[in-house]
Amino acid sequence: MICNKAFPLQWLWKNLKGYRSSYIIALVLSVLCNVLYTVVPYFQTEIIDTFISNEKATENLALHRDRFLWLIAAMIGFTFLRTAMQYACNMYYEKASQGMIFKVRTHLFRRIENQDMAFYDHYRTGDLMTRLTGDLDMVRHMVSWVIKGIVESIALFTASMVFFFTIDWRTGLCILAITPFIFIITRLFSKKAGPAYRTLREKQSALNTAAQENISGNRVVKAFAREDFEIEKFHAHDVQCRDANIAASMNWLQYQPWIDFFAGALSVVLLLCGGWFMIRQHLTMGQYVAISGLLWAVSNPMRNLGHYVNDCNRFMASASKIIEIYYAAPMIVDRTDAPEGEAHLRGEVEFSHVSFSIGDKAILRDVSFHILPGQTVAIMGATGSGKTSLVNLIPRFFDATEGEVLVDGKNVRLHRLESLRKNISIATQDVLLYSDTIDSNIAFGDSSMDEEYVKRCAKLSAADAFIEQLPDGYDTIVGERGVGLSGGQKQRISLARALAVRPAVLILDDTTSAVDMETEAHIQHSLNDALDFPCTKIIIAQRISSTKNADQIIILEDGVVADIGTHEELISRDGYYREIYELQSGIHCAQENGKEASHDAQ
Amino acid sequence: MTRNKYDVDEVLETPFDFTHLKRSFVYIQRYSGKMLLALLLSVVSAIAGLIGPLITRHALDVTIPEKNGRQLILLALLLLLCTGFSVVLSTIRSRILTVVGQHIIFDIREDLFAHLQKLPFSYYDDRPHGKILIRVINYVNSVSDMLSNGIINFVMEILNMVFILVFMLIVDVRLTLVALSGLPLFMLVMFSIKKHQRRAWQDVSNKSSNMNAYLQENIVGARITQVFHREEENAEIYDRLNERYRKSWMHAVVFSNLVWPVTDNISTLVRAALFIVGLLVLDPATVSLGVLAAMTGYASCFWQPIMNLSNIMNNFINNIAYLERIFETLDEPVTVEDDPDAKPMGDIIGQVSFRDVTFGYEENVPVLEHISFDVGAGQSVALVGATGAGKSTIVSLLSRFYNLNDGAILIDGTDISTVTLRSLRSHMGIMLQDSFIFSGTIMDNIRYGKLDATDEEVIAAAKTVYADGFISEMEDGYYTQVNERGSKLSGGEKQLISFARTVLSDPKILILDEATSSIDARTEALLQKGIAGLLKGRTSFIIAHRLSTIRNCDRIMYIGEKGILESGSHEELMAKKGWYYQLYTSQST
Repeated sequence: MICNKAFPLQWLWKNLKGYRSSYIIALVLSVLCNVLYTVVPYFQTEIIDTFISNEKATENLALHRDRFLWLIAAMIGFTFLRTAMQYACNMYYEKASQGMIFKVRTHLFRRIENQDMAFYDHYRTGDLMTRLTGDLDMVRHMVSWVIKGIVESIALFTASMVFFFTIDWRTGLCILAITPFIFIITRLFSKKAGPAYRTLREKQSALNTAAQENISGNRVVKAFAREDFEIEKFHAHDVQCRDANIAASMNWLQYQPWIDFFAGALSVVLLLCGGWFMIRQHLTMGQYVAISGLLWAVSNPMRNLGHYVNDCNRFMASASKIIEIYYAAPMIVDRTDAPEGEAHLRGEVEFSHVSFSIGDKAILRDVSFHILPGQTVAIMGATGSGKTSLVNLIPRFFDATEGEVLVDGKNVRLHRLESLRKNISIATQDVLLYSDTIDSNIAFGDSSMDEEYVKRCAKLSAADAFIEQLPDGYDTIVGERGVGLSGGQKQRISLARALAVRPAVLILDDTTSAVDMETEAHIQHSLNDALDFPCTKIIIAQRISSTKNADQIIILEDGVVADIGTHEELISRDGYYREIYELQSGIHCAQENGKEASHDAQ
Repeated sequence: MTRNKYDVDEVLETPFDFTHLKRSFVYIQRYSGKMLLALLLSVVSAIAGLIGPLITRHALDVTIPEKNGRQLILLALLLLLCTGFSVVLSTIRSRILTVVGQHIIFDIREDLFAHLQKLPFSYYDDRPHGKILIRVINYVNSVSDMLSNGIINFVMEILNMVFILVFMLIVDVRLTLVALSGLPLFMLVMFSIKKHQRRAWQDVSNKSSNMNAYLQENIVGARITQVFHREEENAEIYDRLNERYRKSWMHAVVFSNLVWPVTDNISTLVRAALFIVGLLVLDPATVSLGVLAAMTGYASCFWQPIMNLSNIMNNFINNIAYLERIFETLDEPVTVEDDPDAKPMGDIIGQVSFRDVTFGYEENVPVLEHISFDVGAGQSVALVGATGAGKSTIVSLLSRFYNLNDGAILIDGTDISTVTLRSLRSHMGIMLQDSFIFSGTIMDNIRYGKLDATDEEVIAAAKTVYADGFISEMEDGYYTQVNERGSKLSGGEKQLISFARTVLSDPKILILDEATSSIDARTEALLQKGIAGLLKGRTSFIIAHRLSTIRNCDRIMYIGEKGILESGSHEELMAKKGWYYQLYTSQST
């Protein structure tokens, strides 16, 4: 009725599961407390009426001293009871709302974590953060405050109206006559409030995104001395956000005065009608005072109703944003008939006529190749030729549009994501480390890994030496995105992290680009000879030095396999590889050189 | 300095007091006129509120017994007028305070953001970014109501209290003392609650900060999580943080929720005491029943503002946990800032000198020691050496991203610490190792290098670095929307965009820090020609591992062992058969 779209409320109820009893207890308690609110003043009135303002007050006191003391005791006792109930009630609300928010939050986190790349193209970090902070807090507010308020208001309103009608139905009817006005006003307001809060929500999300990107991109900002520009940009969002906030409040403030006015007019109605009925002797003075004493119990709910409708609209704007994420389903999921995967795959990878496109744009076309377990395969190609997309198809970060990607002879779609991804490890192009110790970063794939093994992986990746030199060694906390480290250092930690899970297939996506040649040679040696587990290696690289020892080199051009072969085969024929080879060995022309192909890097 | 991570609470240096609130008065003061007006309106509306009961009393005492219908209507109209009047006043007050509250948090946020722009890299490196973000957005939002409505209500309730206290004193001093007797008890309880409450809410703010820091890292790093199939484990870590947050919240409300019931009970006790003392203890001859009736009325009125005040204070204490975090950030020292009499750096020709420069990121751990060199205007210098030798550090120092421990860096003979940072950096074009992409169009991302560049200039810059090709092929060309961690751009493409950005800024001093590491060999070969043209008329520093990139530089400096091990042209260094020779030959085998 008040919040006209029922779905978010159903959603709330669904998520209250496990806390529903607490919540219902809380609601019942708050109704009881409100009833008690109307009871406690009774004792005080009784004391005043009997022992103070009564004509025979002094006599009464002398004769009924024990009654006086009982009344005092009841006054204190009931207050204590009411406040104790109120406290319990509030704690139940907190328990239920926190419990519910906890559940929603854990669910949202899992949802976000399991999304496809497409999801991350669509949602910005700042926006997702808004949903899980501000929006979620609005939901909490709804559960622990607004619904409570509405229930209390209705209880109080109904109880006092019943009370009024039992005293005098005419006066009761007159008071009730005001309520339609309040409903009309809140309805009118509700129509406008929704859009206002949705706008506000958008502005807040934009502000959050602006701040988030500024913080993440702080190096670029400083490098270009764009602080002023950033401040201006932020300022623009800040102004919009502020103005949207004010607009939403002002919209409310257009209606609130009318609600307040009609609620205030209740006492006018009482004065006029009650007075008239008293003159006509339908109503006694005592009845009038009783009604007037409890008039607040009708006017306050009316007044608050507006506030709650206001909050409901805010809640609706926020809840729809959360629900959107709550039900966002990733496209790439386990097939229901995917069997329990083998613990360890052999590492055979085959592409059979694979095409892949995003939207209308074809990224890969008819790609076929076959990698045997333990082989090393290099992929080369120009920027944007589809190298990264190609390797992303293997652990199913994307699904091929046509053709089949097979691992161990079985279509990747028939593997379980878990077994697939546990067996395939990627050192990604964009190195991202967590703000945690280096040790934890390397042991990311298996946090139970012992330190010795972490160190071994670091050694294989030529990272051990520089890590040992850091002030806290392996316990050094690296900042978000590993900002304390140089590009090459981050790449080596990323490599160690990928090696540490002992994958059946290791994919290096341009992982040694920022590493110096000597270090690269060390890494190549590690990968070729020093691994203590069988491993298929797929290496994306730009340098001939990284690729020349591969069993196969795949050349991608515009998403098509232009050539496949060994280093010797490829330099013996025209094409991209020989072109690059000549370009890069151009630097060697100072020295006579034609034999490098046969030599090992060390 | 120890770095902070997601599961570690940030220690708050300053102890709690109301100075934080006092400090926020700087922000409130700017709107003192409006605040005073709001206060005045509240006072007038409170007084107008007193008229209503008077009208009703008159009606009950006089009009109705006299059965004067006409007067009754008149009185009702008067009451309606009063109600209307007070509604109008309170609406105006609300409007004013809404605007003021929003402006105050707007000002705080602007200051906070501006201050963040001045903070050094180390500030961002030392803590999860989510912890910074939540301060700028969520914490600031939280204090809006406290700093507008909260303050006014606070003053109003105090006025109310004083007002009633005066009335009570006039009526009967002894009974007033009884009414006040609850105060010490009230204070005692409040202060003992406050101590726990404050610590508890601080804990809440810490736990929410931790939780959100982890959340942000996981949004940014979702791909890595999936690569390592660690979703469940990360979710469990998040659950733990989430659980700690819930616990801290539940702990905090144990105290916060106590405030109101305690006050309520004390207020009732006081009223009971008044009845007992007035009727049973004091000599009946000295206390008229009328006085007693008035006193019980006043006592309720007197305790109402106290109860409201305790609620307001309650709110303050919760929010001060956020406010102090905000001020802490504002107090974060700016280590690299303009000298008080720094002048803008005018046009330069680009001569660079390092004079005996010593630097370390941490005290006593120098990365570079006693480095001196001169680079002539227009020269190109390549920095080579092992990863972590300090190549990036040298170029960071040139832009004054860090202050030197010792020595000086001169550009055209001017010490860079004597000029404004902005003017200094506007002469530099730095292509960073990490290429950051802002969410927006590719056009805007490149334009970041020169804000007033026309579309043509942007496209020309993209062409210079051979980025035009792939950009034109994208769905909306230069107007394609991209974002920070989207999949639309490959690593090489991001670098090219970032490169175009630098080129567009047309700097006098160009710094390329592994600018082409992720770019494919063919494009890179093309770029080489482009770069050669770019370097003309600019002083340049190039860091690269692919030596092909740097062979043609005027000078090559081999960095190692905290200093420059070798310096000279490619031919000279090759002839010397030292470090560079070794490196070079290792690459060619």
